[in-house]
Amino acid sequence: MLQYVVRRLILTIPVIFGILVIAFMLTRLSGDPTDLILPPDVTEEARDAFRQVHGLDKPIWTQFIAFCVQAAQGDFGNSLRFQEPALSLVLERMAATTELALAAMFLAIAIGIPTGVIAAYHRNTFVDITVRSVSLLGQALPSFYLAILSIIIFAVWLRWLPTGGRGGFWHLLLPATTLAFQLVALIARVTRSCMLDVLGQDYIRTARAKGLGETTIVWIHGLRNAFIPVLTVIGLQVGFLMGGVVVTETVFSWPGVGRLAIQAIYARDFPVVQAVVLLFALIFVVVNLIVDILYAVLDPRIGYR
Amino acid sequence: MRKLLKLLLITTGLAIGSLAQASAGTLTIAQNFDPQTLWPNGTTASDNLNAGSAMVEGLFWQDPRDNVIKPLLATSWEQETPTSVLIKLRDGVTFTNGEAMNADAVVHSINIFMDKEQTPAYSRVAVAFDSVEKVDDLTVRLKLKYPYPPLALGLTQIVVTPPKYWAEVGLEAYGQKPIGTGPFKFVSWDRDDKLVMEKNDDYWGELPSGIDSLIWRPVPDDNSRVAGLTTGEYQVAKDLPVTAIPELELDSQITLVPVPSYRIYQIGLSSRPEHESPLQNKLVRQALNYAVDKQAIIDNLFFGKAVALNGQVLRSTQLGYNTDLKDYPYDPEKAKQLLAEAGYPDGFSIPFKFPSGRYAQDREVSEAVAGMLDKVGVKTELIALEPGEFLRQLRAQELAPMYFVGLAPQDDPAFQAGQYLSDWRYSPIANEELDRLIDAGAKEMDVDKRAAIYREMMELMHEEVPIIFLYDGIDVYGTTSKLKNFQPRGDGRMFFYGVTLEE
Repeated sequence: MLQYVVRRLILTIPVIFGILVIAFMLTRLSGDPTDLILPPDVTEEARDAFRQVHGLDKPIWTQFIAFCVQAAQGDFGNSLRFQEPALSLVLERMAATTELALAAMFLAIAIGIPTGVIAAYHRNTFVDITVRSVSLLGQALPSFYLAILSIIIFAVWLRWLPTGGRGGFWHLLLPATTLAFQLVALIARVTRSCMLDVLGQDYIRTARAKGLGETTIVWIHGLRNAFIPVLTVIGLQVGFLMGGVVVTETVFSWPGVGRLAIQAIYARDFPVVQAVVLLFALIFVVVNLIVDILYAVLDPRIGYR
Repeated sequence: MRKLLKLLLITTGLAIGSLAQASAGTLTIAQNFDPQTLWPNGTTASDNLNAGSAMVEGLFWQDPRDNVIKPLLATSWEQETPTSVLIKLRDGVTFTNGEAMNADAVVHSINIFMDKEQTPAYSRVAVAFDSVEKVDDLTVRLKLKYPYPPLALGLTQIVVTPPKYWAEVGLEAYGQKPIGTGPFKFVSWDRDDKLVMEKNDDYWGELPSGIDSLIWRPVPDDNSRVAGLTTGEYQVAKDLPVTAIPELELDSQITLVPVPSYRIYQIGLSSRPEHESPLQNKLVRQALNYAVDKQAIIDNLFFGKAVALNGQVLRSTQLGYNTDLKDYPYDPEKAKQLLAEAGYPDGFSIPFKFPSGRYAQDREVSEAVAGMLDKVGVKTELIALEPGEFLRQLRAQELAPMYFVGLAPQDDPAFQAGQYLSDWRYSPIANEELDRLIDAGAKEMDVDKRAAIYREMMELMHEEVPIIFLYDGIDVYGTTSKLKNFQPRGDGRMFFYGVTLEE
C-alpha cells in the first residue's frame, strides 16, 4: 500500500512538470503583459524598464529555466500587477476557496447520494421521474445564470441573504448552493444508476431472504457496493469545482483563488496564473490519489501492490 | 436532534435580523476591483487611486465640481521661469505616524515620481521633470526639461509619502499599509474582500461630515453591484451597467450620479501613407461620418447615457473646445454622393477591428456601425479582438485602416491632441499642419493663445476627419440618497472632500 502511494507520488512529478511547461508556454503565447498592466500612453523606456524589472526582456528559454529553478524552491516570482510574491497571493486566498469548495462538496454529497438512492429504490415512480427531471435541469442550467437568479430572489426580493462577500454561514449559503447545484444533479444521477445495478444483484436477494430490514439492505449493503463509481465521479468533479469557483467567486464577490485567477488571466499576470494552475493541478492529483486509496478501504477486494 | 433544529431556527432568525443596514457613519463602497496597491503613484487604475487617495494625498487636486485645480498639501505654485517652478507647502501638516509633511518629504516624493522604475505608469508626465530641490522647510523648486503647459495637472498627480516610514518599509510594503496625511487612515485589509479605513481625527482640513469609516469592497460582477446597492449593503457603487439604470431610477433610496467620462469613443480611419485603403481619400472619411447615426446608437444602446461629440474630440469643459463646430449629421444620401465623388459609386469592402469586452457595449456599437455603413455600400469585415490583443495591435499600429477605440487621456488638451500627432504610436493620421498645431499647443504657455491653437486644430480635424466622431461615454455611479455633494470625476476618480453622509 505504502509502496503504491510512493509510486503514485513519483508518477505525479512528470505530470506536474508537464503542466508547468504548458502553463508557462500558453501564458507567453498570449502576448506582452505591458500592454495590459501599464497605461497605453506610457513611454517606451518605461515599458522596457518594467520588462527588465520582471525579467521579461530575456529570451524565453532563459526565462523558463529560471522559472523552473525558482519554482522547485517554491518561488513563483513576483506578481506583475501586485508587487508581491505570486505564491503568497494565491495561498492567502486559498482558505476562502477551500471553505467554499468543501461546503459545496458537502452539500452535493449530502443531498445527491440520498436522492439518488431513493430514486433508484422507487424506480419509475413519480419520485424517480421528478428526481431525474430536476437533475437533468440542474446539469443544464449554467451556474452564472443560477447565481444571478439566486441573488435576485434571496437577496434582493426576499432580503434573506447578503448579495455577496465573505462573512459567516449566511454569506456562504448562496455561493455554496450555486456551486453545488450541478454536482448534486450529477451525483444523484450516478448514484441512481449504480444503485439500480446493485439492487438487482443476487446478494441483495440473499439479504432479503435472510430477513434483513429494507433500510439495512439499501443503505448498508446496497450503497456500499454502489459507492465506488460514485466516489470516482466525486474525485473527478474536484476539477469541476476548481473551474466552478471562478464563476461563483466572481458573481458573489468571494475573495478566493478563482477570482484571482480570472483577473490574472485577463491582465496577463504570468506568475500568478502559473502559481494557480500548479496549485489546482496538485490538488486534483492529490484528491484523486486519496480516492484511489479509499477504494481499498471501501472494498477489501481491491488491493494495491 | 429536535433541540438542535430549534437552535438552528432561532439563530437563523437572529442572523437574518442582523443582516439589515450597516451601522450609521459607515460608507461601504463597491468598486470593480480590489486595489493592487494603496500607493496612488503605484498605478493609474482608478480603483486603486480612489482607495489610496483617501489616505495618501497629493500636492493639488482637480475638483470635478468646477474643474478647478485646488491646493491640498501645497498652498500655491508660481512659475519663476518657463522651466522652473516654486511650490509653497502647507504649514503644520503631519503624517498619521507623526512625521512632518515638509520640503524634505515632498522632495523625496517627487524624486520617486521621476524614477521610471518605481512609477512607470506616470512616465508620460514625469518625463518633463528635470530635478527637484529644497529651498526652505516649506518651499521646493521643481526644474523642468522644457516649458510644460499641463504642469498644473501634473502636480495633481504627485502624492506625498513620509520619507522615514518609506525608507523603513519600502515601496511594496508601503502599498499594503500606507501612511499619509489624508482624511482617512488605514485600519485593515482582507485582500479581495474588504479594505477598512477610519477617519483621521487629526486631519489638517475639514473632514467629510458624518463618515466615521470607509469600507471598500471589490465586486467584479455588474449585476452584483446593482443588487448590493439596492439592498443597502453598499452606499456607493461604481460603474453601474446601463441596462440597470431604468429600474434604479425608480428607487427613492438611491441617487444616480451620471458623470461624463474622459473617454472619447471613435472609429479610427487611418489615412497614414503606409496604410493603403480607400480611407486615404478625405471625401470617403467624411462620407463615413455622414453614414453613421450616432444619436441612434446613444439612444438604443446606452438608453441616452452617452453624449454626442460636437465634431471634435475635446469636451465642452476643456480649454480649446470649439463652439463653432457641429457634428456631421446623419445623412446617408450625402454619404453615397461623397463616395461616388471619391470614385466609389458602388462602395467598397474594408476590415473593421474592435475589442470585445473592453468597453461598455463595444461589440454592439461596432455591429451597429457596420450595419449603418452597409446601407451606403461600405461592406465591413468585422474582426473582434480580445482586449489584450486589441491593446497590443493599437500600440503596434496593426488596427489600421479602421477600428473602434475609446481613448481616455488626462484632462489637458495636450494629451487629447497629442494622440493625432504623426509620430504618436497610434495616430490614424499624418498631417503636417495638424502636427504644427499640436506642437504649438503643447508648448504655448499663454492660456488664450493656447485655446486659439486648439480651436484651430479642432477645426482642421473636423475637416480632415481622421476618425468617425462617435460619443463621449457616461459613467454612472449609484449612491444612497443620504450621501450629499458626492461628485466623481470623468476619469473614474472619487473624492470625499466636502461630502456629507446624512443620518
